[in-house]
Parts: sequence; structure tokens; C-alpha cells
Amino acid sequence: MEILWAILILLGLGLILGLGLAIAAKILHVKEDERIEEVAKKLPNYNCGSCGYAGCKSLAEAIVTGKEDNLKKCKPGKEDLNFKPIIEYLDEHPNPDGSKVKVHM
Amino acid sequence: MNTFIAFLLAIISSMLIDNVVLSRFYGICPFLGVSKKVNSSLGMGVAVVFVIILATVICWPLYNYVLVPAGIAFMDTVAYILVIASLVQLVGLFIKKYSPSLYKTLGIYLPLITTNCAVLGVAQSNTDQGLNFVESLANGIGTSVGFLLIIVVFSCIRVRLESANTPKAFKGLPIALITAAIMAIAFMGLQGLFSGLN
Repeated sequence: MEILWAILILLGLGLILGLGLAIAAKILHVKEDERIEEVAKKLPNYNCGSCGYAGCKSLAEAIVTGKEDNLKKCKPGKEDLNFKPIIEYLDEHPNPDGSKVKVHM
Repeated sequence: MNTFIAFLLAIISSMLIDNVVLSRFYGICPFLGVSKKVNSSLGMGVAVVFVIILATVICWPLYNYVLVPAGIAFMDTVAYILVIASLVQLVGLFIKKYSPSLYKTLGIYLPLITTNCAVLGVAQSNTDQGLNFVESLANGIGTSVGFLLIIVVFSCIRVRLESANTPKAFKGLPIALITAAIMAIAFMGLQGLFSGLN
């Protein structure tokens, strides 16, 4: 009986807190450059850190903002799987002022 | 003694005498990790103050009105961690929205407030000592402000240490640890501050 209560109460608590967080995430939403998310998706997403950044998300941010132009920094990335799609994507999605994000392999 | 004075005394006692970092050794991770710059340590301290006070306010009724009547008081730690993790997430969202630069400097230490034992320690010690709501609140405020005070003071010292002529082997973290130890010894001097009052 006790264990049933424990499960029910913790489930309920989790549900309430989760709902609260979901609402808070909607209200406190920060508008980010959506290209960062897309580039991060195309990276290997091992978050190994061998590129020198804190993770794939940070490397993607550095690529899109122009701080990093060498995709080869990403050690586990493959040319066909990761780098070419990123270059294509960035070719099709230039900066708001029309200039292109320069990257190479 | 007047309730209000007792409340203030409880705050000061958990802030200075039983200081969370220097005499109970909770929350050492952010204490050493985020104390290189005064600004980021201030942000960390304020975030911890917010999380601890809110966690106290939520955890006390949760324990006494939900867990105890249902007969599952033994689940307290699990329930507290759930509450604390959500609160930290909320603080993270908040800081990301209103201060992206602080969000960057806090980095990994921000989600790590979840595992900051100072936060869980306050909630747990409130339960273990059977404190009432006002006493728990005083303990929460005192502990968290004590953390804020110590981390800011420590970061000021570390900024000065950067330019000090320390031996090469002691540069960086070693001298910081020695400083922390000396601070802990100094705070031992505050023991028995209120012993004359009883």
C-alpha cells in the first residue's frame, strides 16, 4: 500500500513540476538563430569536445556566428555525412544581411 | 524571547556560525569553480539563494502535509531532489532569458546547482531536526545568504591572489584551497557567539 502511495505521489509531483516547467519554457523562450540548431543536428553529436568547444552545440554556434571556419576541427565528423550537408545548408541559408557564412573542410 | 528576534538570531547563526561552506563543507564545487570572477560568483550566489529559499518553502509543506500523512516520509530525499531539479531548471531558463552573459559564465555550474549538496542539505536538515516552518525558513535564508557572502568574499580574495607573488607551485587552485582553509579557521572564531544569550 505504501509503495503505491509513493509511486502515485511522486508521479503526481513530477507531473505538476513538469507542467510548470513546460509553461515556464514557453514564457521564457529565447529566440535563437535557428541555423545553430540545424547545424548542430548535422554534426556527429558525440559531444566529445575534441574540437575545443564545450560540445556540438557550441561548435555549431561558433560556425554560424563566423568564429570558426574550419569544419575539420570536428574530429569524428565524416566528409559525406556531416561536412557536406553543413556546407550546403549554410550556402542556402545566408546571414540576414545577405552575406554567406564562410566554412571549409 | 521575541519571535522576530529569535528568527533573526537563527538566520545569523546559520549564516555565520554554522556557515554552510566553511564549517559544514557543503557546496564546495561551485565555491571553488565559480569564484574566479566577482561578477559570476555574485550571480551564482544569488541563484543559489533563490533555489534554497524556494526549495525550503516548497519542501516543508510537501513533507508535512503530503509525505507524512501518506505514510511515505522515507521518500523525502527523492521528492526533494525532484523539487530542486525543477527549480534549478527554472532558474536556468530565467537567467538565459534575462542575462545571457551570466548564463555563459556560469556554464556547467548552473545545472550543477541541482547536485549542490547545500540545497539538499538545507531541506534535509530541516526535516531531520523537525523544525517548524518559520525555523526552516530562517535556516534556508541564513544558509543561502551565508553561501552568497562566502563565495563573494572568496572571489574577491582570489582576484587579489591573481596578482600576488605566490610561488609557482601554489599558483591557482592550491593557494585558493589554502585560503579557504584559513577562512574556515577564521570562522571557527565565531563559535559560541550566542552562548551568552541563553
